[in-house]
This record gives sequence, structure tokens and C-alpha cells, in this order.
Amino acid sequence: MYESFNPKQVVQTPFLFFTGKGGVGKTSVACATAVSLADQGKKVLLVSTDPASNLQDVFKIELTSDPVEIPSVNNLFACNIDPEEAAKTYREKTVGPYRGKLPDSVVTQMEEQLSGACTVEIAAFDEFSHLLADDTIVKQYDHVLFDTAPTGHTLRLLQLPTAWSGFLQESTHGASCLGPLSGLGEKKDLYAQAVRSLSNGEKTTLILVSRPDVSSLEEANRASLELKDIGIQNQLLIINGLFQTQSPNDEVSTAFYERQQKALTKTPVELKQIKTLSVPYVSYSLTDMDSLRHLVSDKPFAEIEENSDDNEIIPLPGLNEIIDDFSAKNTRVIFTMGKGGVGKTTIASAIAVGLSEKGHKVHLTTTDPAAHLAYTFKDGALKDNLSISSINPKTEVEKYKQEVLSVAGKEQDEEGLAYLKEDLESPCTEEIALFKAFANMVEKSQDEIVVIDTAPTGHTLLLLDSTETYHKEISRSTGDVPDSVKKLLPRLRNPKETGVVIVTLAEATPVLEATRLQEDLKRAQIVPKWWLINQSLHATETKDPILAGRANTEKRWIKKVSDELAEKAAIIPWTGEEKIGYAKLKDYIRN
Amino acid sequence: MSKLEIFDPAMCCSTGVCGPSVDPDLTRVASVVYSLEKRGFDVTRFNLSNDPGEFVENKKVNQVLQEKGADALPVTILNGEIVKDSSYPSNEEFSDWLQVDAADLKDKPQTRVTIDIDKL
Repeated sequence: MYESFNPKQVVQTPFLFFTGKGGVGKTSVACATAVSLADQGKKVLLVSTDPASNLQDVFKIELTSDPVEIPSVNNLFACNIDPEEAAKTYREKTVGPYRGKLPDSVVTQMEEQLSGACTVEIAAFDEFSHLLADDTIVKQYDHVLFDTAPTGHTLRLLQLPTAWSGFLQESTHGASCLGPLSGLGEKKDLYAQAVRSLSNGEKTTLILVSRPDVSSLEEANRASLELKDIGIQNQLLIINGLFQTQSPNDEVSTAFYERQQKALTKTPVELKQIKTLSVPYVSYSLTDMDSLRHLVSDKPFAEIEENSDDNEIIPLPGLNEIIDDFSAKNTRVIFTMGKGGVGKTTIASAIAVGLSEKGHKVHLTTTDPAAHLAYTFKDGALKDNLSISSINPKTEVEKYKQEVLSVAGKEQDEEGLAYLKEDLESPCTEEIALFKAFANMVEKSQDEIVVIDTAPTGHTLLLLDSTETYHKEISRSTGDVPDSVKKLLPRLRNPKETGVVIVTLAEATPVLEATRLQEDLKRAQIVPKWWLINQSLHATETKDPILAGRANTEKRWIKKVSDELAEKAAIIPWTGEEKIGYAKLKDYIRN
Repeated sequence: MSKLEIFDPAMCCSTGVCGPSVDPDLTRVASVVYSLEKRGFDVTRFNLSNDPGEFVENKKVNQVLQEKGADALPVTILNGEIVKDSSYPSNEEFSDWLQVDAADLKDKPQTRVTIDIDKL
């Protein structure tokens, strides 16, 4: 078993970066660490970037991008940077002065350009660098904690030596993600110093935060390798939410425990080499100082007595109602959408099975390498009217990269090629490559319902959208949009033809991320039809005190989804077993 | 000596690789510009995302943008006059305007050759 994470014994460097997939509890762990260090008399600055963060409630003080002293904890200072907000500010700073001076269509084009994921990342890094490289900050605090870390892509871009050689100005092929940040040259030294601090093991510890589940462990491993590769060697792994005390007579509790243990045995080999500590699964929400202190104390406890006379159950339909709805309306293209780990592949498979049971001809296609359909339908009992295919993101991206390099690469010199290759590592590339593959798939499947387990973001859709006036320009200047893509977009926008199901969990971060997905899709004029809350403890009958406590904390998120966010909402109870195979998937339909 | 300016539209990434497909035109224009520069021509490119100011200051560009909107890009200016808008010039046009043999515009940028001693 893992030792408990106790910052007193572990933290040695002035800078701490917490990284991990959304929803693993980076902010809570960072916050608990900060409080613990401050309690020891260290002067601590906590830099939060989590827009879902309830830090303001926890600290009972308004946080801004400038550090403020936290009244309830001696020596603790905190600031809050919202990367989306930082990107927006940056965007406005760049575009604002040209409003009115250039026509609207031109301004819109500039804005959309600066709306990608890369701009957000770079804007966040820009904020970090000030703190990392600012001597007065470094001298003022014993520890500076960041609740997120830059990705390898960002760091590599900043390290590319040619980024500073004037290449940007001279070449038409400036790196995409740096290109929009004009005036970057002035910050050369700042960024260089920030990157140096990051890769100095005596200055920086990278804390990988993961849940004991397969997908977040895989994500932690990916981040670990990528950042090691760029020189960040000093790493630590924290398994957050380890369930340690099962109630033997409670089925859910036993299954919950076993599921975690099984996932941990699947920890990637490389990740096993890293020093690993654990933080317990707790029943309470981390909304006050005491709970945070206990979380990383010598003897963390999992339960706090809470008055739970509130036994209200929120009534929501099950997955069967989603299937009935699509079946009755004869929806032709169905996307399940959501961040990794929320179970969208299983849900897509279950929808496909449900529709085929109702006599529809269905084609199911997926990108999830962790849940290949052959595996999901292990028993091989496929029905005549259900066909499946899988799109391997790695293969598609590789194919796309080769295509790009063979067309554009041959004209490039060495520096140009280096840039082109780095551009191809950007998140946009993967999306575009996949969307093209999906479009081909939808094109091929005539006369059947197509169920797809992932969906592109609004940004990608807008980029691909050759019917929008301001994107005519982009599509012309970046080559022809394939026919299959052109035909797909209007279909996606037609609610009679397309249904989007947003899959989420009843927790803060997944709900927030899903909210963003929805906003982003609406930007591209696609309105999600259903929200599905997956793996809900609230929807089970567990009596285990810890799990029941957690079920109670789920309620506010379930309410938020059903009352505020979703046009229609459904819920699926937590289950210990993964539904594998046609017969098992049918379980979902019988709710 | 003639002076050539090209005002590019904003692109998701300037390499175009994040776009729906790679535009061979972009790479063609890039190598033509490279060749022209090598021959000492005064060629400048402005990208809407990096140098929006130029799109305001240049009266001719601003005017065509006001008239046609973003569709007018890319705009090519030869010695202060717009010679082409809404698409990139062809190699023939470049060669006409600048009195260069079209065949000479197909030079590829030089690639440095590196020798890996370990592999010899």
C-alpha cells in the first residue's frame, strides 16, 4: 500500500506544480498542501488556475490575479488566474484596437484565430512565467504552488531555439501557437528563465495527481513522460481518493474498493518507478480549512459526521429514455461527448445496442483505444443490424502528419520543417485528423444510424466550416475542405438529424468541463440534446458511510445539470463492473 | 527595384496544418517569396494575426477590406498599388510583375546537410 501524502515530509523545492486530468482533484490537493506548509511556518503562495475552484469560499476572501493574504491561515497567500480569462484578455488586447478600424469580418477572423486551445495554454504560461522568473516573488516566499502545469507541447514551443531568431517575422510558417502572441520576442528571457526553473530539480517538483482509475493513471503517465522528456525529472505521484475502508455488507462499497484496486494493478510501468503517495477517499467536501488540513495530515480520516437528514432523491430518467427519444425521432447521427474517463464509449455502445434492439440499422464507431469495440462486444453476439468500426486516433494523426509533411514538408528548410512538425503536435491537429476520419465514416454509412463516441469542439467545427463567411477565407487559404466534411457540418447542425449526448459525472470539474463543451458547441450552432450523468453514487442504494456522504455531495451537481444546463437530463447509477458485450450493454436499457 | 507586399489572411496556424487540409498554394507562395528574397527583391508579408496594424495603416489594403471584407485577403501590392486581391498571385504573375524568369522561381530553400559521425 502507499504511504499517505504528507507535505511536511515530502516537499523540498520552492516550486510545486500539480498536474493531472480534469477532475482528479489537483486544486484540492494543492490547496491542502499549501495550508499544511503554511501551518509549519513556511511562507506560501498558492496560484490557482481552476475556474471551478471554490477556493474563494474556502478562504472566505475574494481572489484576484494579485496575491492576497489569507486571513484564516498565517503565512498563506493566494491568487487566482483563469487561463480562459487570461486568453480573453490577451485576445481583447490584440483584437480590440482594430475594432472599427478593420471591417467586422476581418476582426471576427482574428478573434476566431485566437480562440484555440493553444492560445489558452500560452496565456496561462505567460502568467506563470512572471511568477517563476520574478526574483522578488522567489525571495518573498518559501514555496510557490501552482495547481496546474504547462504541457510538453507548450514547453517545446518555448524551447524551439528558432522561435527567437526572427524566423517568425521572416517566414510565412511561424509556429501557430506562438504566432498569435505578438511581442513575444520581448519576453524571450522571461520564458527562458521560467523554463530553466521548471527543469531544475532543486527548484521544482512536479506532482502528478491521479485517481485510482485506469484513464487518469494513463493520463498521468503521458504527462510524466512528456515532461520528463523536456527535462522535468523531479516527479512525484499522488493517488488521490484512495478508498481504504470498505463496508463488507455493502455491495457498492465492496465493488468500489475492488474496482480501484484492480485499476491500480494496471498502473503503467514507467509510472510505477515514480515515488507514489496516497490521499484518502473522503465523504466530505473540501470546503473548509479543517477538512483540507485533515486530508494531508499524519492520520487523515475519511469521514466527518454530517447531518444527513436530507434524504431527497432527485428523480431523473435512465439511458432507456434517451434511446426511446432518439428512436422515436429517428435521429440519424448521434454523438456522445465528454472528457476522457466519463464513460462515453460505453454509453455510445449502449445507445447503439438499444437502437438496434428497437430494430434500427445502426453503425457504431469509436476512437477510444482503451475500449475497443471488439472488447466491448467481447461475446461476439452482434446482431445483423448493428455494425461497428473503430478509428485509431494515433493512426489517423500519423496518417495526417505524413500527408502534411509530404505536401508541405518538401518545400521546407530545416527550421521550417522543425516548426511544421511542432505545429503538428498541437491539439488542433488531432481533432482535425479525427474529424476527417469521422466524416468519411458518416459518409460511407448510408441508411443507418451512426453513433460516434466523441465529437469535435466548436473551434474545430468553425475552422472546418466553409459555409461561414469568415471561414471561406480560411478554407481557401488552407486548401480544400474535403467533401465528406462539407456535407457533414450542416447535418450536425440540424437537430432533426443529429443528437448530441453530453456525458459527465456528478462532480465539480467534470460538470464545468462539460459546460464548456456545451458552450463551445453552441458557438458552432450545435445544441446538445441530452446530458447524461454517469456513474452516480446518488443513484445507487449504498449505505456505506463514506460513499453515502459522497452521494450526498453529488446532489448539487445533479441539480445544476438538470435545472440549469441540460435541455433534458438522465442518470446512470454507479456500477462496479464494466459492461462488456452485447448482453451486458442491454442492462442499461432495462432501467 | 520593385517592392512587393503580401497581406495574408489570419489562419488558425500560419502553417495551415491545423486547417482542414494543407494548402499547396501556401507552400508555393512561400518558396516563391524565398526565391525572390534571395534575388534581392524587396518582398514583405504581413499576417493579419501578427501584424493587424499594417492592415489599418496601409490605406489601399484598408480600403479594399472595407469594401469586400475579409474575403479580399490575401492582397498583393506592387509598388504601392494593389495588383491582386482575394487570392495569391500565380508564378506567372510574379514573373511578369518583377521581370523574373518563371522557371527561376521554383528554387527550393537550401537544406543544411548534417553528417552523423556515429553512423559513418
